[in-house]
Amino acid sequence: MSTIIALSTPVGRGAIAVVRMSGSDSKKIAKAIFEPFPDKPNFLKVGTLALDSFSDRAMCVYFDAPRSYTGEDMVEFHCHGGVGVSGEVLKKCIALGAVMAQNGEFSKRAFINGKQNLSNAEGIIQLIDAESGMALRAGENLLENKLGKTTVNIQNKLTEILAECEAALDYPEEDLEISTLNEIKKKLTSTYNELNSLLLSAETGRLVSGGINIAIVGKSNVGKSSLLNALLGENRAIVSAIAGTTRDTLRESVIYKDVKFNFVDTAGLRATDDEIENLGIERTRESVKKADIVLNVVDEDEKTINNDKPLIIVRNKMDKLKVLPKEKENEIFVSALFGTNIDRLKQKIYDYFQVGALSQDDLILTNARHIDCVEQAKRSIAQAIYAADETTLDCVTVDISEAWQSLGLITGTTASEEIIDKIYEKFCLGK
Amino acid sequence: MIFNYDIIVIGAGHAGCEAALAAARLGAKTIMFATNLDTVAFCACNPSIGGTAKGQIVKEIDALGGQMGINTDKSLLQLRMLNRGKGPAVYSPRAQVDKYAYHANMKAVVENTANLDLRQGEATDIEIIDNGFRVTTGVGLSYDAKAVVICSGVYLNAKIIVGKWSQKVGPNGFSAATKLTDSLKKLGFTTRRFKTGTPARINGRSIDFDKMTRQQGEDEMPPFSYLHENVPSKIRDCFLTYSTLATKDIILKNKNLAPLFTGDIEGVGPRYCPSIEDKVVRFSDKEKHQVFLEPEGEGTNEYYVQGVSSSMPAEVQYQIFRSIDGLENCEIMRDAYAIEYDCIDATTLFPTLMSKDVNGLFFAGQINGTSGYEEAAGQGLVAGINAYRFINSLPPFILTRENSYIGVLIDDITTKPTEEPYRMMTSRAEHRLILRQDNADIRLTEIGREIGLVSDERYMKFLAKEKEINEIKKQMKVVYPPKKLQELFSDKNETQPKAGLTLADCLKRTNITIYDLQKHFGLFENASKQALEQIEIDTKYSGYIEKQQVQIRQANKLETKIIPPDIDYDKIQGLRIEARQKLKKIRPQNLGQAGRISGVSPADVQILIVYLMNKND
Repeated sequence: MSTIIALSTPVGRGAIAVVRMSGSDSKKIAKAIFEPFPDKPNFLKVGTLALDSFSDRAMCVYFDAPRSYTGEDMVEFHCHGGVGVSGEVLKKCIALGAVMAQNGEFSKRAFINGKQNLSNAEGIIQLIDAESGMALRAGENLLENKLGKTTVNIQNKLTEILAECEAALDYPEEDLEISTLNEIKKKLTSTYNELNSLLLSAETGRLVSGGINIAIVGKSNVGKSSLLNALLGENRAIVSAIAGTTRDTLRESVIYKDVKFNFVDTAGLRATDDEIENLGIERTRESVKKADIVLNVVDEDEKTINNDKPLIIVRNKMDKLKVLPKEKENEIFVSALFGTNIDRLKQKIYDYFQVGALSQDDLILTNARHIDCVEQAKRSIAQAIYAADETTLDCVTVDISEAWQSLGLITGTTASEEIIDKIYEKFCLGK
Repeated sequence: MIFNYDIIVIGAGHAGCEAALAAARLGAKTIMFATNLDTVAFCACNPSIGGTAKGQIVKEIDALGGQMGINTDKSLLQLRMLNRGKGPAVYSPRAQVDKYAYHANMKAVVENTANLDLRQGEATDIEIIDNGFRVTTGVGLSYDAKAVVICSGVYLNAKIIVGKWSQKVGPNGFSAATKLTDSLKKLGFTTRRFKTGTPARINGRSIDFDKMTRQQGEDEMPPFSYLHENVPSKIRDCFLTYSTLATKDIILKNKNLAPLFTGDIEGVGPRYCPSIEDKVVRFSDKEKHQVFLEPEGEGTNEYYVQGVSSSMPAEVQYQIFRSIDGLENCEIMRDAYAIEYDCIDATTLFPTLMSKDVNGLFFAGQINGTSGYEEAAGQGLVAGINAYRFINSLPPFILTRENSYIGVLIDDITTKPTEEPYRMMTSRAEHRLILRQDNADIRLTEIGREIGLVSDERYMKFLAKEKEINEIKKQMKVVYPPKKLQELFSDKNETQPKAGLTLADCLKRTNITIYDLQKHFGLFENASKQALEQIEIDTKYSGYIEKQQVQIRQANKLETKIIPPDIDYDKIQGLRIEARQKLKKIRPQNLGQAGRISGVSPADVQILIVYLMNKND
């Protein structure tokens, strides 16, 4: 395998940049450019980086396989931040034989070398991608292998159920204390419910991981763009252009407390042309489709749009009112111009998704691949329950095994002789 | 004197007989040795053939042209189907046989088979010579052959143990084979000790059957062999009774006398065939254990006491057996005993059961660390066929996990080192729904025909059945309008169909059977029971069978990725240490087998895939 290298800190300005190398040539390459090379591993040593056009003070540390992040020999340079220095380091090392790492390649090698199971590795990626506190904690959960532990727990329950079924099938003449089909159904149902709860938390988890998508809709001149500005405020986070449509669409985000609010299709909110006004209805429908919640901005007494998404009616320009009418449950009076009640609106959105009520434990299932595996497992168990009524035990075991395998896909393990071991551990069998 | 043969089979037990018959029937000049000719196809333990997963194996042996099914049908005392009510995929036929008739019937076939010689003699030495092997027997005669199949069962350095008494003798007092292990070691094989046990035999006249529950054979059971039409299934009965708290007490009080617990037994015993002392100690909160009394033969009073194998001292055995309900006054005719024996590590064998290190040397049966007559016979058949193909430079014959239980068995023992004697179970077969006792002929008859073991008679029968099934299948595809289906559906409490349905669709409904279709529409009147059963199972299971087919297709992908035999695992970076060790030891043939080795994770398989891909670039 090649020796890979990558910048581990974000591109751009910063005081320190970390360049990481992994592979059997790492030490050789590092020794060629850094002096004096540390004489023992896990020891950060100050020295000089000799690059092509200049040298620079830096620190270097090396790790010996298998006691490193990837399980291979590794070297890290901690050098001055800025594209200049780190770029030169990369260039030099590549010239000496290193290869630019692909996305996630360090984690992949860690997985291959048994340093991580799949969901740990994904946890790290999620941590890196985390843009909000919640997502950070979800990533942390994965890293601590909470998902692995939860699924292994459920898998163990399935193993017990399977062992009972298999014992019944392979030892029909023994008087084993084996559950009847009805009892097996009950146990399967409880596993089904556990998977279901896991999935429900996933829904919230997804929002929390990726952020809550918010559409701002309303007629022209109700103040949508000023509302947007007020919501984004000084804390405008990421602006991402979504390509692929003829009209410009934008997604702008802001972090509120520990969760990310993504405002969708914001480009359209800024237009004031009549032409674009006419396209407004279509755009509105599109935005609403993408949203998790819709802010319908109205002024005065206007009727609101009808849709089945969660809705908050934002009555703007409250500064113009002398007396504030009573707020209904899903409405709020604000003044985008003066910033009145903008924080309250954000809190309202936050509360709607009960983000505050989420505990650390709820943030276990946030990764799309994991959600898929759990859903498959859930489907298989549902089929097993159905099969228990409509077919025979041998079909039921097929579905239970499928569920077991799907869960195994989360951590990267597969079935082994566990079931058979369990049978003999539990039951007194034999001629 | 030196005798010349094509193939030598050492051991005439269940494995040996299948191997020798297959080789001889294919045309090889074959000789089979037994330390005592009375051991030919001898049922040393349970006087029964079949059972869960084992019954399926017997059907497979029969479909391929082996002898076990035919011989069982000829020696029946009782025939039943296990697991009725748990689904056709796990139906398993089980027979009680007259063990003496079983032996005599098999011996007669062996004595009368062309190309096959049966000889009493202990093989004491195997030497590699030009073009093959020289086997020398105890009395000093030598036999040369191009291939040898070793089916020594539990006879290698066999030792019987009853309490403090032991004797270096084989099962039932037959002579042990005391020299062959050394010869194998000289050829580079390592052996280890396994153990098994057998219960006492009791005189039926001293059994109080009134205290027990009678267990009869089933009416109208299909025979084991596809060649036979009807067999008697209810000649003798078995009896069910229970051990008592007294049994438990006696064993616990005498624990210090049990060789199992004193360490006098060296070999590893099977978990699933524990002695009664083992059961009582491990599951100490169970008050009683099931005991079955099984008749050993028509010409004898002897009963086999299933569930009570033991190596306790003889005196203690009397106490134990007499504490069982109905056996208070029992006369023991033969003691229960434990037996230790040498066996090899089957992971040193190819899936053809030929040694990876010594060309032309095959191993089959309990010497490979398996247990059970059926498991042995299946291996014997495969080894015999491959010995013939080897000496004739024909491509090897390999059964797969997807087409037979025998395939699962051989793949398991050649891939995963077993720590204890291996017993086949349905849960070992991931494709259990397809590997059924009712379709062994559909799966394997053509294969057996290609090899040359399936006779014309068998083949014709098979073709006729296939034809019949295809005709019925055609009729099942006909669409019936809802009006015509009304009566049937209301009769069977099924919701009325809104559109027309094929008969196959109707059959998928839980409450409708193929006999209902027969009755309501007057179809398939002359169809055989077997054909109808086949269609019904296939149709009702089609959803689940399709699920398994998908899994088979996925598994097959990795099976076809051959690993070159000269691969150097030390050169592959990224393999975990344990995986590398196991891969080097077992030398899997393909990626599928590699993934099944314990200690080789999916990640390691990924690395192999990448490595092989890069090599091919």
